[in-house]
Amino acid sequence: MDAAAEQKYNLGIVRWFTVMAVVYLVVGTLVGTYVASELAWPFLNFDIPYLTFGRLRPLHTNAVIFAFGGCALMATSFYSVQRTCGVSLWSDKLAWFVFIGWNLIIVSAVITLPLGINQAKEYAELEWPIDLAIAVVWLAYMFNFVMTLATRKSSHIYVSNWFFLGMMVMITYLHVVNSLAIPVDLFKSYSLFAGVQDAMIQWWWGHNAVGFYLTAGFLGIMYYFVPKQAGRPVYSYRLSVIHFWALMFGYVWLGAHHLQYTALPDWTGSLGAAVSIAMIIPSWGGAVNGMMTLSGAWDKLRTDYVLRFLIMSLAFYAMSTFEGPIMSIKTVNALSHYTDWTVGHVHSGALGWVAMVAIGAIYHMMTRTFHTEMWSTKLINAHFWTATIGTVVYVVAMWVSGIMQGLMWRAYDEYGTLAYTFAESVEAMHPYYAMRAIGGMIFVTGALLMLINVLMTVRKAASEGSVRAASTAAVSA
Amino acid sequence: MNSLAEYFHTDWEAMTTNDWVGLVMTVVTFLLMVGLYFYALRPKNRDKLEKNRFIPMDEDRIDSGEKNGG
Repeated sequence: MDAAAEQKYNLGIVRWFTVMAVVYLVVGTLVGTYVASELAWPFLNFDIPYLTFGRLRPLHTNAVIFAFGGCALMATSFYSVQRTCGVSLWSDKLAWFVFIGWNLIIVSAVITLPLGINQAKEYAELEWPIDLAIAVVWLAYMFNFVMTLATRKSSHIYVSNWFFLGMMVMITYLHVVNSLAIPVDLFKSYSLFAGVQDAMIQWWWGHNAVGFYLTAGFLGIMYYFVPKQAGRPVYSYRLSVIHFWALMFGYVWLGAHHLQYTALPDWTGSLGAAVSIAMIIPSWGGAVNGMMTLSGAWDKLRTDYVLRFLIMSLAFYAMSTFEGPIMSIKTVNALSHYTDWTVGHVHSGALGWVAMVAIGAIYHMMTRTFHTEMWSTKLINAHFWTATIGTVVYVVAMWVSGIMQGLMWRAYDEYGTLAYTFAESVEAMHPYYAMRAIGGMIFVTGALLMLINVLMTVRKAASEGSVRAASTAAVSA
Repeated sequence: MNSLAEYFHTDWEAMTTNDWVGLVMTVVTFLLMVGLYFYALRPKNRDKLEKNRFIPMDEDRIDSGEKNGG
């Protein structure tokens, strides 16, 4: 029981964000598995418009990225900034405003997306009133974080906070510019940009949502929680400095690689691909930095299930940050683009890297903010294996499916006509779509185990009175 | 394309203001990155940077007046 931390820091807000992140992990992956099943067995939409793939898919992406990912980022950043700065959050009221505001935004997404209220911009589907709310809540989150840094007791700002702050600054800028729109009524607006400029802005946002939200933010998690869980300092601080600045300078250039072979000028796609390749260096530097933190203590992986999540996430981070740049090269992109390979790549990053590093951090915070051990260690172990196997099954299915799609679409016969119809390629995908749905089911089973474990731990803490005891215990100065 | 010279040929006369702004930003970013690599990897700066890696391990000492070496 860490009574000193309970009394010194605002851990209440961390507890709420942590538990809600797990709830949204289950909801988001459940919806994802359902839409994956719809692709394998289309009758599952039951001719109900609210259940169709087109409406539920943005609900899935918003739920996993902004609901689960957002709550995980807010929990971990609020937790680690307090601990590395030696001060409580600058404003508890502002932190609660962020918690309530963010959750109301999630509720509004759950209502509007199935109704078909949608801006038709990928990963930015929510309509303009919700976009405004996101900007306000996000700025409140950033302001509280910055003011906490400003009032810190440590002289140096630890590198995890750099990554969190980089994410906050860049996502503000990206979200505001990409969401610029002219409203025509409460539920409909049109983008300020048109044609190829709109596409360029959209993918400048789209890839940087990956780069700054799903990468920089979650690297902030990695740089704090891997050393804490391993009980060893990060392998190289100098490498982390290079990792941070290379990521900040490099990522903003990549978006154009989503638009190879389109109306966009050819050189922009080449530039996007060139910088993508260059980004392998800092990305692998970061992954090695995280993994080598365990140098000399690899035996901990045998017994520490939470550490397994964190180290496995770094393996997936290394893999997907190699795969992405390779896919951005025009020659490879000609085969991979518009196929399921892209979906496989995204999920090796999303399930393998983002979800696993966040899950590891959540288990770490659960014991330290509820001041009790997890209800079941066996369930954590079962979760680790279901998450890993589910991710691998999903990703392998999409790799095979995607490459097969690409090859079928480009196959010509001796007369120069297409060898396969589009419908034939869809038919060939069916076994892999079923396999993908099964992979998702395995992953969501693990998420359910986590939710049960987390809720039982909360119940255990309540029955033990551990949080109350920590907040009232005498603490030596 | 027949040669590297042809590949790298640039029609400087056709460069617009936007092209120049983009070029300058690209070159400046590149130079900043070179400077960063030099600063971070210079042996002289090793101890100054590496002492910060202990911050998560020393959280309890942060407000004890030591300020993590500050």
